[in-house]
Amino acid sequence: MSSTQSSSKPSPVPAQSAGVDLIRIALGLNYFHFGYLKFYPDLSPAELIASYTAQRLSLYWIDAAVTLQIIAVMECAIGCALLFNVGLRWVAPAFFFHMAATFLPLFLLPEVTFKFAPLAPTIEGQYILKNFVLVSAGWVVFAPHLRFLHRRAQSKVCAADVALEPATAAAVSQSPSSQN
Amino acid sequence: MNTAPQCVIVAMGLFGVSMGINAAYEKYHGSELSRVPSSQPYLASANAQPATSNPDSGNVSASNSQQDTKVPAPQQIRPASLAPDFEGLTLYPTINKGIRTPFDLWRFYGRGASSYASPVLPMRWEQWAGFHAKQKPGLMQDIYDYMASRFNFNKASIPNAHMSGGKPVMLGPVARLKDSVASFEDLGSLPAAEIRKRDLFPYKPLAHPLQSTAHMVFPQSWIAAHPQHARIDVDHDFPDAYLPEFPPPMFLTTHLELGDVTNGTEVTIDNYYEIFDGLLTPEQMEGLKELLRPSPTTWFNQTTHRVTTAPSKGVACLDCHVNGHTNAAFELGPDSRPNMARLRVDTPTLRGNFNLMQFSSKRSIRSMDHFSEVEEYFDGDPGMQQAIGPRAVKREVSNRMADFNAILDNPPAPKLDPLMQLDPALANASELRGEKLFQGKARCATCHYGPAFVDDYMHDLKAERFYVGRPEGPIKTFPLRGIKDSPPYLHDGRCPTLHDAVEFFNIVLQTKLTKQEKDDLVAYLLCL
Repeated sequence: MSSTQSSSKPSPVPAQSAGVDLIRIALGLNYFHFGYLKFYPDLSPAELIASYTAQRLSLYWIDAAVTLQIIAVMECAIGCALLFNVGLRWVAPAFFFHMAATFLPLFLLPEVTFKFAPLAPTIEGQYILKNFVLVSAGWVVFAPHLRFLHRRAQSKVCAADVALEPATAAAVSQSPSSQN
Repeated sequence: MNTAPQCVIVAMGLFGVSMGINAAYEKYHGSELSRVPSSQPYLASANAQPATSNPDSGNVSASNSQQDTKVPAPQQIRPASLAPDFEGLTLYPTINKGIRTPFDLWRFYGRGASSYASPVLPMRWEQWAGFHAKQKPGLMQDIYDYMASRFNFNKASIPNAHMSGGKPVMLGPVARLKDSVASFEDLGSLPAAEIRKRDLFPYKPLAHPLQSTAHMVFPQSWIAAHPQHARIDVDHDFPDAYLPEFPPPMFLTTHLELGDVTNGTEVTIDNYYEIFDGLLTPEQMEGLKELLRPSPTTWFNQTTHRVTTAPSKGVACLDCHVNGHTNAAFELGPDSRPNMARLRVDTPTLRGNFNLMQFSSKRSIRSMDHFSEVEEYFDGDPGMQQAIGPRAVKREVSNRMADFNAILDNPPAPKLDPLMQLDPALANASELRGEKLFQGKARCATCHYGPAFVDDYMHDLKAERFYVGRPEGPIKTFPLRGIKDSPPYLHDGRCPTLHDAVEFFNIVLQTKLTKQEKDDLVAYLLCL
C-alpha cells in the first residue's frame, strides 16, 4: 500500500475499539443465552436442527439429548470466554469449529433449510445463512488473539525487510556521502 | 481480560440470564405447548380439595360448591415428576415427520405439541422423496444391525413342525442374552429388581423403525407380490422366515370339509367372486368385497402426503389380514399421543374372531361391528380423512364385513378333543407334559382357557419391572388357538418364536421352568 493510500484511510477512532468490545459482548451474550436454553430439553428452538446435525455427524452413536447437552456446554463456554474476555486464543478454534458446524444443515438437511436450494431458504436456512455475519464478527474479535496471524504478519514484515536491504544498500552507495 | 469490576458485572449478568431462563422454563413446561406432561398437578389439585359437604345434612354450601367446580388456574399447573420407578426416562426428542427416531423408545416419555396431525408434508414432495432416498439405506442398515444385536436370526427351524400351509416353524429362543448371564434358566432365576438393575431383560419393547412417520410396514413377501406398497422410507425389520406364511390358508366355519378354500392362492378383489360364489351368502360376499376394497390411508393415498413413489389407491383390510389371517405387517396402535408414545402392534389374525369378546391389542374394542369400522387407516385421527379421502364405511356395510369375519375358522388341530384337551392317543409324552405345565406350573391357563385359549381380558404384565422403561399398560390376552401360524409374538413381535414367548412369560411370571419344561410347553403350543 502506498503512503498516499495510507494517508487516505481514516485513522482509527476510540469508537472503533469500543465497537470490537461491543461485538465481543454481543457474541458472548448470544452464545451464552442460546447455549443455556439447550440445557432445558423443551425450550430451545434449535433443538431439532442442532441435535439432528450432531447425530448425523456421530453416525447416530450419540442420542439427541446427549448431543444437545454437549452443544450447550460448548456454547456456554464460548459465551463466557467472550464475555469475560479471557482465553480467547484457546476458544477461537472452538468458535470457528462451532460456526462451521452450524452451516452443516445446509448440506445435511437441505430439505429443512431450503425451499429451493441454494437461493430460497426456509426460515431455518435463513438463520443459518445469517451466521456469515457472526463468523465475520468472530474474526474481528478473535483475529488479534490468533498466533498464526501474528506469525504471518511478522514473516511478511521480515520478507519486506529482506527485499528492502539491496535497495537500501544501493541507495546508500549512491548517496553523496558514500561518493565522497 | 476484563477488570475485576467488569467481571463482577458480567457474572451478575450471566446469573440474571440463567435465572431468567430458568424462570421462563418453570412457566413454560406443563403449558399446552410443552412436551412435559402436567397430569400430576391436576390430581394434586383435586386431592387438595377437602370434603366440603356435610354428611349429616347432605347439603353443600354455596361457597364450597364453587370451590368444587373451580378449574386450576394455569399458574398452578406444574409438570408431573416421574414416579420413582420411572426415573431415568427422558423426554421424547423433537422430531419432524420422516426424521429417524431412537429404536429404544421405551426409555422416553412426554406429550406432543398437538393431538391433531397435519396432512401437509414438512417439505416439497420432491424433497421428501429425495430425503428418504438418502436416509433409507443407512437407516435400514442400522435397523438390521439393531435387530441382529437383539436376535440371533439363524433360520433354524423346529424339526417336523409346520404351519397349516406347510411353512416351517422357527426354532428359538433367538433373543440374545447379555454376556453376564449364562442361560435363560439363570436369567429366570433372578429377581425382577436385579434383572432391571443389571439391564439383562432380553425382551424390551420393539418400536416402529421410523416412528416419526410410522404407519403400516409390509413384509418383503407381501411387497414382492404388491410392489405398490413398497415404502420409500422404511422396510420391514424381520426376516421372512420368522413371519407367517404367505399366502396363508383360509378355513371357513361353514365349509370345514373344503379345508383351505383358497387352494393356496391369495384372495384379492379380482378373484374373490370366482373363489367364493356359491359358498358365501350375499351378505358375506359384500362384506368380503369391502374387506378387499382399498381405501386411502394417512400415508398410502393419492396425495403427496404419502410414502410410496407413485400415488397409491390405499390399503385394504385383507392387505394386512391376508386371507383372513396375518402377514405380520405392523403399525402403531392408534390409541395414544404423541406418536412416539404409540406402541408398535403386529397384525393379529382374524381367524377365530367369532369366539372373541374383545378385539385389538390395546383398545378393548367390544364388537366385531365396531372392529370393522375402527379407524386404523388414519391412525385414530378422523380429521385427516377430509384432506386425504374418506373411507366412508357405512354401518350396514361394516356389519357385513363382520358377517364374513365371523366365519373365519382356526386351522385344524387334530390332537385336540372337543373340549380342547389333548387326545392321549394322538399326543406324545412331551406334548402331554406340556399340557400339564400349561394348566399348572407355567400358569398359562390362568389367562388362556376355553375354546380359543383366551380369557377376553386385558392384563398389565408390568414388564417394566424388568427394565427402565415407560409402562405399556394393559394388553389384550391373545388367543392361542392356531398360535404356531402367527409369529412373531406379543403385541409388538418382540418374541420372534414360540420358544421366545415361553421364555418371556417364564421371566415375567417368574415361573422358573426348566429347559425341558419349556421345550414341552412349546411342543404343546404346536398342537393348538
